[in-house]
Amino acid sequence: MSEKESLKRKTDAAIDAFKSQRLRWVTGRSQVKVEIDEERYRQVVDVIMRDEIERHMIIGALKEKGLLTVEELSQLTGLQPNKIIQHMIALRRNGVITEAGEKNRQYLYRLI
Amino acid sequence: MAKEIFEEKKRAEEEFEPLIVAFCCNWCSYAGADLAGTSRFEYPTNIRIIRVMCTGRIDPTFVLETLRMGADGVLIAGCHPGDCHYQKGNYMMEKRFDYVKKAVKSTGIEPERVRLEWVSASEGGKFAALVREMTAQIKQLGPSPFRFVRNPK
Repeated sequence: MSEKESLKRKTDAAIDAFKSQRLRWVTGRSQVKVEIDEERYRQVVDVIMRDEIERHMIIGALKEKGLLTVEELSQLTGLQPNKIIQHMIALRRNGVITEAGEKNRQYLYRLI
Repeated sequence: MAKEIFEEKKRAEEEFEPLIVAFCCNWCSYAGADLAGTSRFEYPTNIRIIRVMCTGRIDPTFVLETLRMGADGVLIAGCHPGDCHYQKGNYMMEKRFDYVKKAVKSTGIEPERVRLEWVSASEGGKFAALVREMTAQIKQLGPSPFRFVRNPK
């Protein structure tokens, strides 16, 4: 994957992540109503932001290519396969992706 | 040969004119930019101003989309803390700005390309100085990695 392509993919994912309900909910607040201190809250938001950007990179790749395995996703996005599997579990639970057959003894995934 | 390459690189650096997009709040910074104009303060023409009603209106996607479209820098200028026309719009932006910077950094773009500054309606001189300083800073950083979007060659 070229540098330009990787940059484009990452930025598009970041834009989509900031459009997502989950990230908007935590970054759009002027006051935090939960019982944790500011520093801890920022750390939580950082984790959510990183996760959302990575998930949108996966969604972007699936939108572009249609059917992909974890290995292919890893090559396209530059993320570690175990990290991708973690995101796939969350995305599957949220009803964003589903399995659609097998390839080289690996599940193929597609967007719902 | 090395000298030629060096000269060519130097020429390219000299030719580079950054494009900075500024989001100015209607009540303070836009009036400040206006004052800079009417007071005849000179500042580089590299800046393109977009007026928004409040910095609190600026969504993180605005900044990311602007960079994605090939802008070399993004300036967000609003009222001084405590002076917001809508009471807390600039505080909201200040909080959000941290996340924007982190997101910009995570994509691989230098976070220095994005700046948040406070300029009041009476600070025409400050606005002009800010634009001059930011233009010099972006020139030092070089073209945006998304420059190819504007100049496909």
